[in-house]
Amino acid sequence: MSIEAVFIKGKRKYIFCSDEYGSRVLSSVFEHVKKEKLAYEWYHFSAEKREWLEEFLSKQKMGTFLYVVLPYSELYTVQMMAKRIGFSSDETQYIGYGEKWISIFCCRCHELNRAEEQQTELTCHQCRLKLEVSDHYSELHHAFLGYPATG
Amino acid sequence: MKWTGDLAHFPYPFKDSTYRYSNNSIPMKQPLSIEVTPSYKKEMLLKRKLLSDHPERCYQSLLHSMTGQWEIVELVIDHLVSKYPQDFSVKKENNSWIFTNKILDEKIEFIFGEKNSLPCEPLFFISQHVQEDLIYMRQRDDNLYLDAGQLCFPANWSLAFNIGMKFKSIHHPIPGFKEEGLDQRILQFLMRLEAGTPWERLNWSLMAGDRLDTSLETFDQWGRLRKQVTSENAGELVHIRVEVQKLFRLPRTNSILFSIHTHLLALEQLATNSEWVQQFYEILSELPAHIIEYKGISNYKKAVLEYLEKQLQQVKTL
Ligand code: HEM
Ligand SMILES: [Zn+2]
Repeated sequence: MSIEAVFIKGKRKYIFCSDEYGSRVLSSVFEHVKKEKLAYEWYHFSAEKREWLEEFLSKQKMGTFLYVVLPYSELYTVQMMAKRIGFSSDETQYIGYGEKWISIFCCRCHELNRAEEQQTELTCHQCRLKLEVSDHYSELHHAFLGYPATG
Repeated sequence: MKWTGDLAHFPYPFKDSTYRYSNNSIPMKQPLSIEVTPSYKKEMLLKRKLLSDHPERCYQSLLHSMTGQWEIVELVIDHLVSKYPQDFSVKKENNSWIFTNKILDEKIEFIFGEKNSLPCEPLFFISQHVQEDLIYMRQRDDNLYLDAGQLCFPANWSLAFNIGMKFKSIHHPIPGFKEEGLDQRILQFLMRLEAGTPWERLNWSLMAGDRLDTSLETFDQWGRLRKQVTSENAGELVHIRVEVQKLFRLPRTNSILFSIHTHLLALEQLATNSEWVQQFYEILSELPAHIIEYKGISNYKKAVLEYLEKQLQQVKTL
């Protein structure tokens, strides 16, 4: 994941997927693409439209380059989605901003809780159990295990 | 309910006077995935209640596990019938099977390989007839994945969290496992496991209380007993928990069945054997802090050692 969008030349088409804040991050690359009269398309992201994005990305042809600028809380799902569809890492640039979120799996009720990356303890928002964040990670749940907090 | 008292069937786990994590698997003498002990009925009742009250906690499966699940049904039924012909029987006509469990007075008819012929998934069905928890590990891309499992009596872990996980990730919480390269060595050992040559190992721990169901999900219910152990009540309250774990290669899906039979024995019963007390005392006194911590014994190790010392002194004064 980078901090600044970088223009990658020689692609058939460029896709910019971002929210309003993200479009500012992408502006210089966008200007470049326009100046060179290259093919492009904007996808204005909102969490409600996440499913449409999947459809939109699935329709893209080979040689398409994807820029995504979103809050970290959304970025990961989009990243997974694009990967699933078949975008490789040299066909994409992901830029996250804002607070980084991780998911914590509650060991008692199995609810996924959001936590900040540095957080070590939290209370499960569903069953109210106090949880200690561990580094035991499930790729299937995209989450770390929260153990019962001791003490 | 008491789950103890089965001294005759207790798989005493120790050989030396020290204990470290290692690949302590050995080839099985009797290649059977299951064992029926005198507490069979009691445990089946408990297991079925847990399965129906907490299906998500006790049962998980992924889509591609179905063929493997049937392979487990076949293996387990064959083992039950060959080892305990007076209690279990099966009639196979082509794919029409009639399985009879005489202990529970049940007869189940189904079409082998036909999911809709059973009211539940095949692994769920067969797990209702054995004391063992059954875990299905699917092999792909030189790795093993936990693709299905029935787990009612876990030693403080969550099947719902671990579903779909790779072998090494499953063992991530164990201190020193990765650092010592044990996870890689055990994985390689498992990848070489051959059909017809099953292996078994014993895992042990201590617990306060006598619950078979020590799931991570219910830790708040059973974990607090750890704080109530004293050298006076340790004999009754503290139990040694031994899992007989068996590993079978399933040839059709090239996957692995991992069965876990959990045994509990109160320390006061362990103490009926003075050699056991002596050996266990030495092991516990010497056990490294990271293993003590991981097994959850830190709170009451001192009380247990005091209890064991008392038992040893009594032996000497007799
Ligand atoms: C292939 C099937 C296996 C599965 C599904 C499995 C699963 C597990 C799980 C879930 C835990 C608890 C981890 C936690 O704290 O969350 C565990 C612990 C452990 N496993 Fe395995 N395991 C398997 C095979 C093995 C084998 C073959 C060995 C060694 C030869 C082994 C050695 C251990 C050890 C030493 C522990 C720590 C136990 C303790 O200190 O009480 N496992 N395993
Ligand atoms: Zn919860």
